[in-house]
Amino acid sequence: MGRKDGGQPLTVARIIVRRLVQALLVSLMVSTLSFVMMRALPGDAAMRVAAARYGHDLVTARAADAVRAELKLDRPVASALFAWWGDVLRLDLGTSAVTAAPVVDEVSHQLGYTIRLALAAMGIALLAGPLLGVLCGLWPGSAFDQTWRALAAAIRAVPPFILGLLLIIAFSVEMAALPAAGTMDSTSLVLPAITLAVGLTAGLIRVTRDALKSVTESGYFAFARTKGLSLSEALVRHGLRNAAAPVTAYVGVQLAFLIEGVVAVETLFAWPGIGHALVHAIYARDVPMIQGTVMAMAILFIGLSALADLAILAIDPRRR
Amino acid sequence: MTMPSVGILNDGAATPKRMTPWQWVGLAILALIGFFGLVAPLIGGDPLIQDLDHVMIKPCLSSPLGTDHLGRSMFARLGHAARLSLLLAALSVLTAAIPGALLGVAAAWRARWTDTALSTIADGVLALPGLLLIVLLTTFAPGKFWPFYVGLSLALWVEYFRVVRAASQTLLRSSPVEASRLLGFGPAYVVRRHLLPELIPVLRTLMTFGAATSVLSLAALGLVGVGLRPPTPELGTMMIELLPHYQEAPWLIAEPIFVLLLAVTGLALVAGERELR
Amino acid sequence: MTFLEVRNLSVQAGATAVVRDASLQLDASQKYTLLGETGSGKSLLAQAIMGNLPAGLSSSGSIAVFGETSAADEPMKRQRLWGHSLALLPQEPWLALDPTMRALSQVAETYQKVGRVPDGVKGARRRASADFSSLGLAGAERKLPGALSGGMAQRTAFAVVRAGGARLLIVDEPTKGLDAGLRDGVVSMLKQVADNGGAVLTITHDVAAARLLGGTIGIMLDGEIVEQGPADQVLAQPRHDYTRRLLAADPESWAPRTQPTPGPPVLTAKGLSKRFGEQQLFADLDIEIASGGRVAVVGPSGSGKTTLGGMLLGVVPPDSGSVSRRPDVPAWKYQKLYQDPIAAFAPRVRLRTSLRDLVSRHGLQWADVEKWMERTRLRASLLDRLPDQVSSGELQRIALVRVLLLNPVLLVADEPTSRLDPITQQETIYLLAECLADLGCALVLVTHDAAIAGNIASRVLTLSAPPSRTP
Repeated sequence: MGRKDGGQPLTVARIIVRRLVQALLVSLMVSTLSFVMMRALPGDAAMRVAAARYGHDLVTARAADAVRAELKLDRPVASALFAWWGDVLRLDLGTSAVTAAPVVDEVSHQLGYTIRLALAAMGIALLAGPLLGVLCGLWPGSAFDQTWRALAAAIRAVPPFILGLLLIIAFSVEMAALPAAGTMDSTSLVLPAITLAVGLTAGLIRVTRDALKSVTESGYFAFARTKGLSLSEALVRHGLRNAAAPVTAYVGVQLAFLIEGVVAVETLFAWPGIGHALVHAIYARDVPMIQGTVMAMAILFIGLSALADLAILAIDPRRR
Repeated sequence: MTMPSVGILNDGAATPKRMTPWQWVGLAILALIGFFGLVAPLIGGDPLIQDLDHVMIKPCLSSPLGTDHLGRSMFARLGHAARLSLLLAALSVLTAAIPGALLGVAAAWRARWTDTALSTIADGVLALPGLLLIVLLTTFAPGKFWPFYVGLSLALWVEYFRVVRAASQTLLRSSPVEASRLLGFGPAYVVRRHLLPELIPVLRTLMTFGAATSVLSLAALGLVGVGLRPPTPELGTMMIELLPHYQEAPWLIAEPIFVLLLAVTGLALVAGERELR
Repeated sequence: MTFLEVRNLSVQAGATAVVRDASLQLDASQKYTLLGETGSGKSLLAQAIMGNLPAGLSSSGSIAVFGETSAADEPMKRQRLWGHSLALLPQEPWLALDPTMRALSQVAETYQKVGRVPDGVKGARRRASADFSSLGLAGAERKLPGALSGGMAQRTAFAVVRAGGARLLIVDEPTKGLDAGLRDGVVSMLKQVADNGGAVLTITHDVAAARLLGGTIGIMLDGEIVEQGPADQVLAQPRHDYTRRLLAADPESWAPRTQPTPGPPVLTAKGLSKRFGEQQLFADLDIEIASGGRVAVVGPSGSGKTTLGGMLLGVVPPDSGSVSRRPDVPAWKYQKLYQDPIAAFAPRVRLRTSLRDLVSRHGLQWADVEKWMERTRLRASLLDRLPDQVSSGELQRIALVRVLLLNPVLLVADEPTSRLDPITQQETIYLLAECLADLGCALVLVTHDAAIAGNIASRVLTLSAPPSRTP
């Protein structure tokens, strides 16, 4: 008997290498698409950037040419592409076609907001979901269990953007208490965080419940009891670790949907994070910002995925 | 709490499952929406014609679902929107599933090179959440249909590839396949009797997931303003257009929300116990 | 004080009585073996005593443990005794160990929490280490259950149970799937418990284990204990008809059989060797199998006998050496019977369909199927089912029918009966030998049971245990 999945054991090094390779691939993919975008879109991109930088009245043809060189639009495609890649990998992402500010600065600022939102949402979900799930799993079939499972299933069908829409309608039109847009302090984090967290919480309730139920129905749990451990001892010493593994794996899988949800939620609630910036960059055809925000979101996703991988490694000794 | 019994052998062998009643309900819901999407555009009239004399009429006999803020028939608009969403879902899922599954089997059957190459590409695509890929593509052709179709297909195929590859690898190395080969059966038989019966239920579930992702992605991007361009009727764009009129005519925004939730519920029911997202 | 006294214990599953009026008694240093086949109710009897019957079953009668009497349907009273007074060693111990906790920790935890040893965590780990050494598990302390062999998992589970300090031990099928060496090891472990003043109630279908254990034997059939008495008496002079049949099914008691006259060779192998990781399983092996001949490959688990069978059929490549089959005979005339019959069939295809496929692939007649089904005493209606809806014994016979249809020249039977009850095992092996003799088909029987090998085969090839493996 050996490893069931027949794969290689995970180590911290393997996880980090894999995620770094992914980050590299994604950066190349996004930057290539942006490069094509820059050349394929109608209008003179160089002129637009220069106008944004120096002001529409003051821009000169020479300034536009300087920008053209900067954007490598004057070079043949192949060398331009390599140079573009080089810039991206050195984190030189150019300047916004709208604000003329360096993309890296803008994105770092926005990233801070998005991370706050993501952490708040995950915090809510990771606290409420497993807690309710454990309670359901300990008394499967009870009224508590059935009610919460039905609720969770119903809520799962509602995607974050619809939920956000409904919350805006419910809370902002009726009550002025929770602002939908405006000041950017902690209270205005509440609604968007809850919107993002709800779907994940509902999923976690179900997954935690199922994991705990399969623990209590397992042979090793029965043996832990018959060998003399009390119910609480058996649950803590054998249940927690075995249930935590599938739950953590689930969170890892849901991260993609979390990142996607950020786009809609930030736009709806006017939260100034990367998702919001991405949408506005698209309206404005601001290619450097589009590239920067998409890359930032992808890297954030990969970073969170790496954390999830490390968590699974820490929890489940079978992976090592 | 009931005590599990120790010492009873757990029989884990698979048996084919019949469709549960809830799954039939889900299918019925999807059929209903499909029917609506097919028929409403035919009998509902033009969804683009504005009639500023009859703005925001409540649902009545002549206008079954009312009219929107520009006097356009909600019945016609919803019908077109439903058709659009379902069409996109069906097209992108099929475009993703068929090559994805075939490549998955190929990667499992032939070892080493094909497998490593395909798996690396898949890993790379996975690194970018699908919605972001679609959003990038829409910049090339804002408001057009093809970025959604291409983006969704690219984002979805990976799942089919990985799942089919993993399942096929296990199956091809299993004892029943060894036994069949010893009995003189060839690869075609192995595919027919060993792979397909295991893969088809899995693919069915994945396709339901894919359909839900398609429908929701289109609406989500429509809601934030980077979807299909108005006046094309689409569930997400309709929602954002009708939001300002929530207080005067709440039924208006309720309609596309309801259709969307109904579609997702139908898909969730068909998927059964598996998680939809 | 009587350790265990069971009086008139009955267990009902709805309207059916699955255990009827069972009574037995155990004192200090005594051993009781409950011998019976699958479906006799013996496991349920053990669970009823323990107090963890599955939901939906009801029980009646009285059970006294260390003088404390409780009604059978008051399991909570006996639950209080779990671990420190009354313990259960379950079937399939690899399922009873927490897959994410290292082996030593599972034993140490029991010392600490159940055995309540005075010297805390460190003391518990020290005792656990000592146990590992004395049970031959040295080196396995940090392993996860998934990395333990069947025998090692068995001994680890035993160590866990012993660490709780219980003097009354119920053991469920401890020798299932184990070869002779491991079986003897387990039996001596159990005897030691009794020698140290404890009492052991063993549930098993393994007659040889019952013989080795000694003590009292109870024969269980259809929920009833039909015969009970001292081991040597019951085994030497069985009174009940079923007991006689059960004992006759022990391969040691099988009547010797005539060996067929061998013909020209159907398979020749030269210089076969196989290495598995660090261990050289076998090297420079030569085998020649005559037409109609019978060869047995015997060895403990891990010795590579299944791999050898695979090599002869060409599904496993040897590290060195060659296998040559008759060139005029198609490859599919060399067939295999699997240890777990369900592993031989496509799980989602009905048996009738599988057989039909074979018939059309090789241009056979369905009448042949019916003929073989009759010969192996199988009902035609079984074919309408899926593989997992048929009992192991019947499924193995269907697998045999499938193979016989091809009129094979060689059949490699890989432990075809190790999971079966004794009487079913005897029937299946006899059937196998007779059907193959009818067709003049050669047999390579892979088994860990030397008695079966000696009875069936004219030549026995013995593979030894890999050097680093502790039994």
